[in-house]
Amino acid sequence: MLEMHNISKIYRTDLIETHALREFSLQVAAGEFIAVSGPSGSGKTTFLNVAGLLETFDSGTYKLDGQDIRGLSDNARSRIRNEKIGFVFQSFNLIPDLDIFDNVDVPLRYRGMKAAERTARIANSLELVGLSSRMRHLPAQLSGGQQQRAAIARAIAGDPALILADEPTGNLDSLMARQIMDLLEKINSMGTTVVLVTHDPELARRAERNIHIIDGLVADTVPASGARRRERQGPAHAESATD
Amino acid sequence: MLGYYLRLSLRSFRRAPGLTALMVSTIALGIAACIVTLTVYHGMSSNPIWWKNGELYAVTVNPLSPSQTRKAGDPAYGSSQLAYDDATYLSGSGIPKRETVLAFLFGAITSTPDQTRPLPVMIQATTGGFFRMFDVPFRYGGPWNAAADRGPEPVMVLSHRENAKLFGGTDSVGRTLLWSGHRFRIVGVLAPWHPLPRFYDLSAGDGGPFGRSADAFIPFQWGPTLRDWPAGHMSCSSQGSASSTYQGLLGSGCTWIGMWVELPTRAARRHFRAFLQAYAAAQRKAGIFHAVNTHLWTVSQWLSLHHIVTRRSGLLVNLAFALLTVCLINTLGILLAKFLRGAPLAGIRRALGASRRQVFAQHLVEAGVLSLAGAALGLALSAAGLAGVRLLYRGSAAAYGKFAHFDPIGIAWALALAVVATIVAGLYPAWRIGRRPPATYLKSQ
Amino acid sequence: MALTSHPLLSALRRNPTGAVLIALQIGITLAILVNAAAIVTHALQKMDRPTGLDTRDTFAMEVADLSRQFNVYSASSADLAYLRHLPGVAAASVIVGIPLTDDGGTTTVGRLPESQGPTITSAYLPVDQQGLRTLDVPLVAGRDFRASEIRVPTVAHPDPRIGIVIVTQALANALFAHRSALGQSIYLGGRTPSTIIGITRNFMGPQLGGGEHAYDTVLVPEIVTQYAAYDLLVRTQPGKRAVVLREAKRHIDAADQNAVVGYTWTLSHAKYRMYSGLRNLAVFLSFLTLVMLVLCCLGIFGLGTFNVVTRTRQIGIRRALGARRRDIVTLFLAENAITVSAGAIFGCFLALGIGQWLTTHDGLARLDPWYLLVGVAVLALTSQLAVWQPARRAARIPPAVATRTI
Repeated sequence: MLEMHNISKIYRTDLIETHALREFSLQVAAGEFIAVSGPSGSGKTTFLNVAGLLETFDSGTYKLDGQDIRGLSDNARSRIRNEKIGFVFQSFNLIPDLDIFDNVDVPLRYRGMKAAERTARIANSLELVGLSSRMRHLPAQLSGGQQQRAAIARAIAGDPALILADEPTGNLDSLMARQIMDLLEKINSMGTTVVLVTHDPELARRAERNIHIIDGLVADTVPASGARRRERQGPAHAESATD
Repeated sequence: MLGYYLRLSLRSFRRAPGLTALMVSTIALGIAACIVTLTVYHGMSSNPIWWKNGELYAVTVNPLSPSQTRKAGDPAYGSSQLAYDDATYLSGSGIPKRETVLAFLFGAITSTPDQTRPLPVMIQATTGGFFRMFDVPFRYGGPWNAAADRGPEPVMVLSHRENAKLFGGTDSVGRTLLWSGHRFRIVGVLAPWHPLPRFYDLSAGDGGPFGRSADAFIPFQWGPTLRDWPAGHMSCSSQGSASSTYQGLLGSGCTWIGMWVELPTRAARRHFRAFLQAYAAAQRKAGIFHAVNTHLWTVSQWLSLHHIVTRRSGLLVNLAFALLTVCLINTLGILLAKFLRGAPLAGIRRALGASRRQVFAQHLVEAGVLSLAGAALGLALSAAGLAGVRLLYRGSAAAYGKFAHFDPIGIAWALALAVVATIVAGLYPAWRIGRRPPATYLKSQ
Repeated sequence: MALTSHPLLSALRRNPTGAVLIALQIGITLAILVNAAAIVTHALQKMDRPTGLDTRDTFAMEVADLSRQFNVYSASSADLAYLRHLPGVAAASVIVGIPLTDDGGTTTVGRLPESQGPTITSAYLPVDQQGLRTLDVPLVAGRDFRASEIRVPTVAHPDPRIGIVIVTQALANALFAHRSALGQSIYLGGRTPSTIIGITRNFMGPQLGGGEHAYDTVLVPEIVTQYAAYDLLVRTQPGKRAVVLREAKRHIDAADQNAVVGYTWTLSHAKYRMYSGLRNLAVFLSFLTLVMLVLCCLGIFGLGTFNVVTRTRQIGIRRALGARRRDIVTLFLAENAITVSAGAIFGCFLALGIGQWLTTHDGLARLDPWYLLVGVAVLALTSQLAVWQPARRAARIPPAVATRTI
């Protein structure tokens, strides 16, 4: 699904060059649920931006769903974002003056769908996240957890192959956080690949595989057979997960 | 997608109603000021026969050298008309396609023998070519023929207004009017025709260049035949002062006749210019002229030569555009601030798959809706503004007020200006929003 | 102050476009304001020039011949005889060309025969012996025309040449500079010389009324008889103009079946009309400039208000860190002051540029630096007023905003 090979991303200002990603390589198979963690400043967000086609990278190769991303026009990248990727952000990023229905509607509009199909998809995804009754509420009228569920509904409405979630529970209390994680797992179980970026090892452990980034490099990987299974068996030590 | 963008724009306006009102009224004010100024300017400086600007030429031969006139830079100063001898000679060349000479006479006409009190009228003495050269529209009949320009038969063309006054607007062709002891047969009646300014004869009449056209038209030769003194502008300078007898007037160098020629081709223009030059050179040699100083003026040159198109009205137009620029900058500033503040939202849309073009289009639609609202309000404001201008000009020449009405050209200007101005103002902010990578806006929250 | 202005500049530097746009607006507005003020002042001064005439109590009427059979001399003499005895009339004269109407004759005037020297174009005003009295223009030197000197062309003597003229002071100065013009010979558009017997105080003649040379007029003693019309100029006793005008018009219309009163003018109306273009320009210009100023202030107000909203949090933090309300107001005013200063500098250059252009193209006097100073002051003041309300609003932001998340 996601193949990154030797990706480099450098931010330049007048004075400083920051190597946000260096020789970054990662492969994510279709249907996988992986967690990417690392201390702040490690390059997590850059990875997410590059993976989500929100930013370009300087060198290396990146294939998403078999398609080479390198050198694509902004227009083509927008199209891929629209059709293949769903975003879930820490701060929800709902559009405040649109109600929940219209928020979920946004990516579908840009895809140019017919009204009937849009309505059906919006209804489905809101039902999945349990917000059917809140369709006409504005974001400000919902709790944080509900807002994040609305954002998830928006992310999945277009039926993307990949969900990129950036600290989706960062602004939520633990109960709500658990609901969100349950929801992401449910979506993953329906076949959508999920990449979760978090600095919280507890959450990371719920993923099938853990990637750890330090200084723009993949520091270590918990094997695919790792985290999740052990999670079900009971708490395990992070140390034992390393090879 | 347009409907979607429109809905988004309305939402955006609702979110900031004060700012929206401010932008709309800014655009409206700028547009209104521009329309009012342009309408007034258009009225003051328009060339009423623009479609023949390259074909019609006023003829001047100035017997003075430039150094002998006070305004050295003004070649025709003091003599934008011709003396009788010059006009007679110059109109006999046969070079132009059409030509005409004209002068104002003052007269009193009687329609019926029992009418005790004659009706004072302004008479344009001219030739039959006048009507065809200046595309004068006729209601009844037509211009007199070339024979009448020379021949003994007294003929007359009435203005629409005078015909309404004398004959109640009925077809009066064939009837006669008494002027200076001669019965003039009416051969034509004009449709309403009021070129403003009255470019073909700026010299006299009530209201000067913005006054009305003559009440009646007769062949030019009847002036000299009846020894009727011209009532228009007369200038006597170099060749003896004004004479007291009509014969003396004809022989003097006093200038009182306007002359126009129609020269549609370059060859004809060159030919006629050479003819003028040759005449002036011969006069100079004979000691009658001091200089060879001949000119052909297009209608628009003629108007600016006589300061009908003043630099001052040009000044107003520049000012109006400066004002529009300020409005533009103003709107640009507010739109930019507003759009940039909404940038994170645009970032979200970009992350959700909106292309640059779509985000750009959305913002442009918003600017466009603003511009249309501004244009609508601007039209209303300029209607009020033009009413104000009419009030301002009410005390002066009546005709000044006439052009300060709302014309379709003004409306077209308004719409074009409003839409172009605002969209131009919206382009930069919309472009700036679209250009930034979406990730920059997502982090910042 | 140095401490507070530093973060302020950095704020401007971080988002310069808005400030640049405001400065641009202020610059253009200043340039227009200053030049418009100069033009309007110039126009007002021009309109304020004395006409030298009694415009309140003088009127003119044009009498036209309808039959081509009447004798202008006898008809006008009869009219004048009637008018001079009409109660309320101070003086009456027959002339050609009504003062202040731009509807009279001109002539070239020179000290040498025309082909031998420079000439001046001057208004040409034929008057009878009561002309000067009717115009109410006093002589500053020499004498008036005598009744016997008024030439009346007849069929027998079509061109009696008397050869005396009276000129205005302005014309005398233009012709003879410092020397006395009295008794000198001048050439009026021809070859025979005329002697200057009198010099009058300046007044505006029938030509060039609105122009630079409005005071150049030469008066000749003549009753012009060759036209089919003549002009009567009548000065009444104070306040009697309307009554006399009505009475005279009625009488002359009725007295001679062949004569008709054409136009009647009061000199005050003639003056009003003469300046209508200038006056309308002044009104129009003032109005446009005012609109521009209002627009500029609206823009500043709008962006100021907007800045308050977008910077709420930042201002809250400042307040939390101990900034007083006054400090916040000062911050906004100081920011505006910096923008206005930049705009003013740009505007001054633009104003001088436009002024230069107007001087070369429109013959306007060089822009007086005082206008610039006043213009900058006006703009500085109005723009500070425009930003005052948003600044007050900003000052009302509670410090607690700082601890709230969005």
